Amino acid sequence: MDTILASLPYLLEPSILIAAMIGVTWGILGGAMPGISPSITMALLLPFTYTMEPTAAIVLLASTYIGAEYGGSVPAILIRTPGTNAAAATVLDGYEMNKQGKAGLALGISLYSGFIGSMIGLALLMLLSKPLAGVALAFTPPAYFALGILGLSVIATLSGDSLVKGLIAALLGLMVATVGTDPVTGSNRFTFGSSDLLGGIEPVMIMVGLFAMSELLAQASKRDDINKIRSRPKIEFPGRHLAKRLIRPQLLGAGIGSFEGVMPGAGGTIASFMSYNEARRWSSKPDEFGKGSPEGIAAPETANNAVAETALVPLLSFGIPGSNSTAILLGGFLIHGLQPGPMLFQRSADVISGLYAGLFVAIVGMVVMGLAMLPICIWMVNRPRPYLNAFILALILSGIYSIHGSLFDVGIMLTAGLVGFFMRILRFPFLPTVLGLVLGYLVESNFRRSLVLSGDDYTVFTNDWISLGLLTVAALFIAGSIIKRAAAAWRRDERAAFSEGSEG
Amino acid sequence: MITRDAVGGLAAIGLGACYLYFASQMRASSLADSFGPQGMPLVYGWLMLGLGVVLVLQWLVATSRSSSETRQAAHADAWRGQGRKILRAGGLFGLAAAYLPIVQTLGYLPSMALLTFAVALYLGAPLTWRPVAIGIGGAIVLWLIFVQLLGVPMPRGILSAFGL
Amino acid sequence: MYRSCLLAFSSAVAMFAAAPLQAQEYPVDTVTLVTHSSPGGGSDVFLRELSRYLGPILGATVVVENVTGGSGATAMANLAQSPADGSRLYATTPTFIYTSLLSNPEYSFDDLDPLVNFFIDPEVIFTAASSPYETLEDVIQHARDGRGRWGAANPASLERQSLELLKAETGVNAAVVTHEGGGDLMINVLNGTLEIGVGEIQELKGQLEAGEIRLLASLTSDRIEAYPDVPTVQEAGYDVFVRKFRGLAGPQGLPDDVIAAWERAVPEVLALQEYKAIYEANSLRAEFMPNEEYQAFITEFATETEEFLRSTGVIE
Repeated sequence: MDTILASLPYLLEPSILIAAMIGVTWGILGGAMPGISPSITMALLLPFTYTMEPTAAIVLLASTYIGAEYGGSVPAILIRTPGTNAAAATVLDGYEMNKQGKAGLALGISLYSGFIGSMIGLALLMLLSKPLAGVALAFTPPAYFALGILGLSVIATLSGDSLVKGLIAALLGLMVATVGTDPVTGSNRFTFGSSDLLGGIEPVMIMVGLFAMSELLAQASKRDDINKIRSRPKIEFPGRHLAKRLIRPQLLGAGIGSFEGVMPGAGGTIASFMSYNEARRWSSKPDEFGKGSPEGIAAPETANNAVAETALVPLLSFGIPGSNSTAILLGGFLIHGLQPGPMLFQRSADVISGLYAGLFVAIVGMVVMGLAMLPICIWMVNRPRPYLNAFILALILSGIYSIHGSLFDVGIMLTAGLVGFFMRILRFPFLPTVLGLVLGYLVESNFRRSLVLSGDDYTVFTNDWISLGLLTVAALFIAGSIIKRAAAAWRRDERAAFSEGSEG
Repeated sequence: MITRDAVGGLAAIGLGACYLYFASQMRASSLADSFGPQGMPLVYGWLMLGLGVVLVLQWLVATSRSSSETRQAAHADAWRGQGRKILRAGGLFGLAAAYLPIVQTLGYLPSMALLTFAVALYLGAPLTWRPVAIGIGGAIVLWLIFVQLLGVPMPRGILSAFGL
Repeated sequence: MYRSCLLAFSSAVAMFAAAPLQAQEYPVDTVTLVTHSSPGGGSDVFLRELSRYLGPILGATVVVENVTGGSGATAMANLAQSPADGSRLYATTPTFIYTSLLSNPEYSFDDLDPLVNFFIDPEVIFTAASSPYETLEDVIQHARDGRGRWGAANPASLERQSLELLKAETGVNAAVVTHEGGGDLMINVLNGTLEIGVGEIQELKGQLEAGEIRLLASLTSDRIEAYPDVPTVQEAGYDVFVRKFRGLAGPQGLPDDVIAAWERAVPEVLALQEYKAIYEANSLRAEFMPNEEYQAFITEFATETEEFLRSTGVIE
C-alpha cells in the first residue's frame, strides 16, 4: 500500500508524464515494425537519455518496452507478421479474425487484453516484488531445462493432424537453434566459416520468413482467388458477453506471463505460446482456436504484456537483466549512476516510485495511442492487394536489414520464406518450428549445464523438486495428447484439430 | 503415387542425413562436457531421420491399403495446379532475391521504389501512373521511417552524393 | 542502425567538447570508437562515459558506434577495412582475441594494430554471503575432499580460462560451469548451486553493497585498492592471475602523429579528477600502456590464450 501511495505524487510530474507518453508511442511504432525488436527500439532512445533527469530517463525506456511489446501484435493481426517474437502466437487467431473481416475487433481485443495484462503485471511488480524475486532464485539449471521441456510439450497440441509432421517441424527449429556458438565450449557449430552465423540466427528472421514471406509467396501463387473481405477501419471492444468469455484466457495469460517475466531468460515468446495452449485447453470452445477465436488473441496478448512489467522484478531486485530489452534498461540505470540491486530500493526510492507512476501512465497512454493509430493501420491494409503486398515485402526487407545492417540476414529470411512456402504445400505446421527455435538454446544449454554440475548424474533432474514437478506436468501433457490422438484415430472420426500453415 | 507425406518424409530423411554428417564432423575438446557440442545435434539428426522414415512408412501403408483408382484420383487431385503455383511464387521470390544485388549498387531509395513498382505489377496491378506513384511514394515513406526516424544505415548507392 | 543515436550522441559530445579550450589538434575532426558490445552493455557504457572526457583533451569529437554481431568478428572486419588515419578505432577487450582464435574469422586481431591501453578490469572470485566458505582455501579444500562447483559467465572467456587454470594449478576436481552472461551466473551463486563465481567488480557492485555476496580473492597481480582486505589468488599460493584489458586498436599502419596524440591524451584523461571519481567507483584500474608496450602486451596475451586453447583441445 505504501508503494502505491509513494507513487501517487509522481502521477502529476510533467516530466514523467511526457516521458511515459513519448516512450509508449515510440515503442508501439518500433514494435509494429517487423524486425525492429523491443530492445532495438529502446537502444535507439538510449543516447537521448544521457542528458535527461534519471527518473524521466528510466520511465522513457521502460515505457518504450511496454509499447513495443504491445505494438508487435498489430502487424501480427493485420499482415500475419509478428512485429516482435512474443507476438508470434497472436498471428494464429488474430490473422484469421482479420481474414473474416473482424480486424477491428481483433485489434480491440489485443489492446484491451494488453491493458489488463500490463495492469496485473504492474500490480504484481509494485506489491509482490520481494516474493517474486524469490521465485527467480529458486530456479536452478535443471529447473530451467524442465521449463523448456514443458514449453516444447506444447508442440503436441500445435501439430495439427499429424504428430509426426509436427515433430519434424519442431526438429527443424531445434536444428536452426544449434547454429552459432556452443553454450559450453564456445566453439562454433554449423557456421561453415561464416562470421555472419557466429552469433546464431535470430528467431525473428525465421519467424518473419515463415509467416510473412511465405504468406506473400502463397498469395502470389494463387492470384485469381484473392479474398476480398475488408474490415471497417474502426476499433471495436468486446461486448459484455464476449468480455466475460475472455476473463478466463486473460487470467491464464496474466498468470503465465507474470511468472515467465520474473524468470530471467524465459521471456515473452514462451509465455505467449504456453498461455495460448492453456487457454485452448481450458476453453469452452476449443474448436474455434486457430479459426479466429477471440480467446486465442486475449491469452497471448495478456501474457506478453504482463511479461514487460514483471521482467523488471529481477532487474530491480538483483540488477540481473533477463532479456536484451531489460539489459538496455540496465544500461539506462548505469548511465545515471544508479545500480539496480537490493540497495536501489533504499537509496533511490524516489526513482522507483517515479518509475511505477510512469509505467501506470504509459499503460493508460498505450490505450489512448492505440485508439488513435489503429484505424489508420486498418485503412492501410485495406488497400488493393498488389500494392499492399508490394509494400509489405518492402517493409520486411527493410526491417530485417535493420537488425544487424546485414544483407546476409535478409537472405536467411528469404530462405526461411521459401522453406515456409514448401512447408505449406507439404502441409507441415510451422508453429512447432518457431517453438523449437525459441526453446532450443534454453533446453540444450541448461541440460548440459545440469550435467556438468552433477558430474553426469542424471538424477539431478529428479532431485530438484521444481524440475521434477515441471517434467511430470510435461509428461502428462504429452501422454494426454497422444492418448487423445490415438482415441480419435481409433474412432476414425474427423478430428477438429487445426493446423497453422497448411494451405487452407 | 507420390503424396505430400512421401515428399515430406524424404525431405526429412535428406535433411537429417546432411545435418548428421556435419554434426559428426565436430571435434571434441577437453573443455567440453561429456555430452559435448555434438551431443544434441546428433540426437536431433537421428530423430529427424527416424521421423522421416516413419512418415514414408505411413505413406507406404496407406498406399497399399487404397485401391488403384482412388489412388489415381487422389494423385491427380493433390498435385493439380501445384506446378503453376510454385512458378508464380518463384517469380515473386526472384524479385525479392534480385533486390539483394540491386540495393548494393543502386542504394536503398531507388531500389525500394523499383522493387515496390515491380512487385505491384507482378501481382496484377495495371500499368498506369498508380504503381509508379506508389513505388516512389512507398520508398520515400520507408526511407523516412527507417533512415531518418530510426537511423538505420541502409546501403547507399549511386545517390550517396546527394546524401540519400 | 545506430546512426541516429550516433548523431544525437555526437551532438551531445560536441556540447561537452565546445566548453573547454581545444588543447591540441587531432589529425581528424571526428573519432569513432567502435565497440562490439550492444547499446547499454558493459563496454558500451564504459566507452560512452570515457568519450565524454576524451573529446576536449584529444581535440576531436569522439563518438561511439556499436557494430554488433559475431562476438566482435563483424567489428574487426569493419575496422580492418577502415582508413588508417585515426578516425575509426576499435575498443578492445579480451573478447577480440578469443573470437579471433576460436572462430578464425576472415579478419582477426592480427589485422589490427593495438594502439594504447586504458584500464585493467580486476577479476574477483566471489561466493554467496550465506555460504560456509570464508576463504579461497575453504573452497579448494571442499573441492579436494569431493567435487567443486565453480562458475564462469561465458563459455570461452578469460573468466573460464582463469578457473581452468586454477583447477589445473590446485589439481582438484571441480566442475567449471559456463553461463549466458554475468546475470545467470549471479543467480546460481546466490541460490547456492555454485560455490564460487568469477566476475568483474563492476558487475558485482549491486550485490556487494547489499552484502549478498562475499569476495574471496582477486585474480589480479596486486590487491585491489578499494578492497584492501581481499587477498590475491597468488597470495593464497596459486600462481594464477589474469589481466582483462580495455584499450584501443586501429587498422594497420596508423600514422605516428595519431599514436603520439593518443599517448599524450590518455594519461591526461586518466588523471582528470572528475573522471577518476567515476572509474574508481567502478573499481577500474587505470593502467596506461603506450603503443609499443601495448603491442607487446597483446602479442603476449594472444600467445598465452592460444596456448591455453590449444592445450585444452578447443582449437587445433
